[in-house]
Amino acid sequence: MANGLLLNFVLVFAIISAAILVAYRFRFCSIPLLIFLGVLFGPHAPHGTFFDFRLVKETESVAVLGQLGILLLLFYLGLEFSASKVIQRGTTILKGGSIYVSLNFVRGLALGWLFFRSWPETLVVAGITTVSSSAIITKLLVELKRTANPETELILGIMVFEDAFIAVYLSILSGYFMTQGTSAAAGLVAGLATLAFIVGILYLGRFIGPFLDRCLNFRSGEPLIMVIFTLLLAMAWFAEEVGVTEAVGALLLGLVLAETSHAKRLIQLVTPLRDLFGAVFFFSFGMHVDYRQFAPVASLALVAALATVVGNFIAGWLSAWTCSYRGRAPVNVACTIIARGEFAIIAAGLAGTSAAAKIMPPLAALYVLMLAFVNPVLARRTRWIHGELEKIGRFFPRKKAGSLSG
Amino acid sequence: MKQRGVKVAEIKEAELPGLGKKYMVRLDSGERFGIVIYDEGNRELFFFGADEDEPACSVTFTDQEARQVGSIIGGAFYQPKVLEKLEAAVAELHIEWLKISPNAEVAGKSIGDLAVRKKYGITIVAVIEETEKGKKRTAAINPGPGYVFTPGQTIIVAGRRDALEKFERMVTGEGG
Repeated sequence: MANGLLLNFVLVFAIISAAILVAYRFRFCSIPLLIFLGVLFGPHAPHGTFFDFRLVKETESVAVLGQLGILLLLFYLGLEFSASKVIQRGTTILKGGSIYVSLNFVRGLALGWLFFRSWPETLVVAGITTVSSSAIITKLLVELKRTANPETELILGIMVFEDAFIAVYLSILSGYFMTQGTSAAAGLVAGLATLAFIVGILYLGRFIGPFLDRCLNFRSGEPLIMVIFTLLLAMAWFAEEVGVTEAVGALLLGLVLAETSHAKRLIQLVTPLRDLFGAVFFFSFGMHVDYRQFAPVASLALVAALATVVGNFIAGWLSAWTCSYRGRAPVNVACTIIARGEFAIIAAGLAGTSAAAKIMPPLAALYVLMLAFVNPVLARRTRWIHGELEKIGRFFPRKKAGSLSG
Repeated sequence: MKQRGVKVAEIKEAELPGLGKKYMVRLDSGERFGIVIYDEGNRELFFFGADEDEPACSVTFTDQEARQVGSIIGGAFYQPKVLEKLEAAVAELHIEWLKISPNAEVAGKSIGDLAVRKKYGITIVAVIEETEKGKKRTAAINPGPGYVFTPGQTIIVAGRRDALEKFERMVTGEGG
């Protein structure tokens, strides 16, 4: 039995390593590949008389590692997020980010309502489709050598704004589902309660911060990582107890610790752990997905992906335009922030209690995979897209054409 | 990073959350280049033509390479012959390379005699000598007050611009 357990681990990590190596070789983000391989080799994998792809079993241990993965992913996100940085960049982030997120969120809500015509599912779909994947997009920016472009500051700024948005949204959503969706009013109250919880923790964090600062003053890394990991687990447990999803608990702890003087050191300590267990999280998400369920949701995923690309293009272009970027820059912004990833998956996982819970994971998986392929293709062709847009612009009165090329 | 001397290039600094930090340098020619320092240590240099928003080309350095290239550009290995003195400026701090002329006031005197720090408020960083083969050799790094200057050596000094100018006259022997 113990041997079987180890063999399962070996297989899981062998497949994950293969995915990471391939992604590294092609300078592509590994998240979609990990999900895909999870689907391909998981317990729902294709199998027939001559072949059997069901290589890895879904054991509790893999699930635990995956859960640690999501905690570390969000903890890291919180650590990296610095409120002072956001305030420093000021109005640009606020303007561009709020336009982008609000337009996308409305589009997500509309899409969800169109699909399911009921509130819980609508909220989940909005969660899946609103926020883009910073992991995929930063990799893409580096690969396309656009990190020094002026509009990249805006893209990354929007991403920071999205992180803040999704933290609040996920907690409200998880609070909403804690009430089992009995009524919209009860859900709303629960959502507001979780919001209060977040604000409370962050407020407390301001006072605990200096105290933690002194407590965590270890020379060696060993006690530090131990204490932090314990705190992380405790926070996740506490969040779950009070009815907020554990991921939000991890995020909050990250946010509190980001304001201490140990943030930089913690980031260094946590990064390898996050890489290791985060990969397991995406893989195990893929394992839960049965590709046979793709057929009924394929059309939904396709519509969602199309709506995301179009809606995203408009939202991205508009926010870049209002932040006074001209020329190809708005097109670059519009075509770059398309991919969805980690947050889509977390949001899909939250749908646990809603009626459409069964179809959410395959829908999210298919949707993430589609956009992961569309995004680089579009982002690479911004020169062409910009050219075509200018051609269209010429049909309109001069002023518009001039502003497009300006 | 706002206002500096007239000569100094305009440098803009920007945070790239999740990636690292970016510095945009506008050159006299109107061309710009961007230096991105990634959190993982690599540096990437991007060249932008005048009024271009897309980089024409780029180059990536590892941390080690970037440090070496940086010190070459900074003049630590070799100073261009055309320039008599090399001037590096970081905000208020100026670093200059001064060659001691035979009739200089400082020649044959020690750092302690000259009371460099007390009188001029500057610091001698290092002294460089030229060997017979024309190669440069560091004679002393952070020399003490007993160190005696000899003509032909090059002194690397750091300090405020006005203080440096006073000291420079004594080293080059002009007006001294």
